[in-house]
Amino acid sequence: MTDISVNRWLINTRKLLDMGRVSTARSLALMAFAALIGLILAGYALFTAHSTTTFFVPGEDVALVNQQPITRADYYTQIQTDYGVDFPNASREQREKVLSDMMREELFVQRGKELDVAETDPDVRTAMVNAVEQMAAADVMTAQPDQSRLLAYYNAHTDRYAEEGIMTVQDLVFTKALDANQAIAAIRAGSPMDATLARFNGRDSGKVNGEDFYFAAKIHLGDKLFELARSLSTGGIGGPISLADGFHILVMARNTPPKPRDFRTVQPQVLDDYRNEEIKRIMVQYNAFLKKRANVLIAGDMQ
Amino acid sequence: MLNVRRNMKQIHLHSLLKSRGCKGLAYSVIGLALLTVIIAFIQNALTTNHLMKVTPDAAIGNPKLMEFAEKRGAPLFRTHCASCHGEDGKGNTIFGVPNLTDRDWLYGTGRVSDIEKVLFYGIRSHNPRGWNLAVMPAFARPVPSVTERIPPMTPGETRAVIAYLLKLENRPAGGTLAAAGDMIFHGNGGCYDCHTADAKGDSAIGAPDLTDGIWLYGDGSPAAMFESIAYGRQGICPAWTGKLSLPAIREISIFVYSLSQNVGRKK
Repeated sequence: MTDISVNRWLINTRKLLDMGRVSTARSLALMAFAALIGLILAGYALFTAHSTTTFFVPGEDVALVNQQPITRADYYTQIQTDYGVDFPNASREQREKVLSDMMREELFVQRGKELDVAETDPDVRTAMVNAVEQMAAADVMTAQPDQSRLLAYYNAHTDRYAEEGIMTVQDLVFTKALDANQAIAAIRAGSPMDATLARFNGRDSGKVNGEDFYFAAKIHLGDKLFELARSLSTGGIGGPISLADGFHILVMARNTPPKPRDFRTVQPQVLDDYRNEEIKRIMVQYNAFLKKRANVLIAGDMQ
Repeated sequence: MLNVRRNMKQIHLHSLLKSRGCKGLAYSVIGLALLTVIIAFIQNALTTNHLMKVTPDAAIGNPKLMEFAEKRGAPLFRTHCASCHGEDGKGNTIFGVPNLTDRDWLYGTGRVSDIEKVLFYGIRSHNPRGWNLAVMPAFARPVPSVTERIPPMTPGETRAVIAYLLKLENRPAGGTLAAAGDMIFHGNGGCYDCHTADAKGDSAIGAPDLTDGIWLYGDGSPAAMFESIAYGRQGICPAWTGKLSLPAIREISIFVYSLSQNVGRKK
């Protein structure tokens, strides 16, 4: 009886090992074995701190610290920053020092993550916020919007892309209103400036001197006089306006009001502004997305 | 008759395929193709590894590596850089996108490592390691620069500086005006601070050479110069670190370097 069982077992084993024959039992056994190995590997990776491990350093890295790469690019940059030399010109000591420092930094960063330092350190929190914002903005920075979008943006904000106006104006001051009015009449009649000032006891205020951009003229003249100056066309005379130091009249030699710059000229600025606004828009969306998926509880007395 | 012939043909083919010799041949072809793919894959991986292990500037001394990187860098350049720099890398003076083929380098000196650094960290890209130092102030604005205390210029002063720049390029310019521009350039205007006293620029901060006849923005006309001085410039290049793999950045850098090698030297 036992011999028969042994023989049957031997026959079955032979059948199982005969690769020339299709064996369902063998297929199932191999499948089960493979599944077991897979489960063991997955379990090991899941329940050990280091997870999956590689045993060689990829070409683009100088080191792996707990599987976190220190890239060659960062390493070369660090050598340049620390010693002001390229990697090939750095001494052995310099190279070793930089690598050692970078590994130390990586270890401390990893420890910082374990300790969750962002919870307590405001600088780390700020840096993390900046880094996440930067990553969110990266898509906008790397994309080139098409011309039609830029043109639409330009058309919607033409006032931003206006030329600064330019004016050349003289600001004359008189002690009496009557003198100021008479001076205006004299200048309009063609009387020379110096003679007019001498005749009506006037003087040049010295606030403006030659050609100025509008913003500068506004600073020099003050709001009241600038409003008058802006309304004058080339060759115009305005005033008198009473101020603390006397009665002012303005003689406009040349006034070039701001005019929109054409799209072709301002395209780089339009692109910058468009990108900045896109980044702002994306940040709002990103914030909304994070809020939506977060579990936020606000204290009753703060609601 | 035709059907019979077709059937005969099919039977013949079937029997041929069934024959051991043909089966062996088919397996050999498939095996060979598979082997070729595996070898090519391994070769690519090894060359990429080699490319990444050498320093960026050392790669140019190895023709095999150069050829490998250029070949792979070209399509990457077309995908990621050509939208600004153009398919031919010649840039765009409307947007102030530099020509990458002329050996006139705004940042660094045109070495692969310099190009790679720009690709990694960008220019005014908000990346702390990027080239974020120099910004051309807008001198026709009340506050020309948000980071530097620089006074605005009057339109006359702006024109004087333009006359000085024209004179530096031996182009017609009013003598007195150019002399006034010289004073402003080296004085209140603070232009010398970035562009250096001889106006030849500083590639360590991306300040362009104003004497070489190469213009990043516009055509070098007085009107284009006025635009730059009056309203400022601050072009950007994105930081590609994190967006592209490290080998891809190295390959693009070498491709860009090779673009600049295909033309005669500038100076």
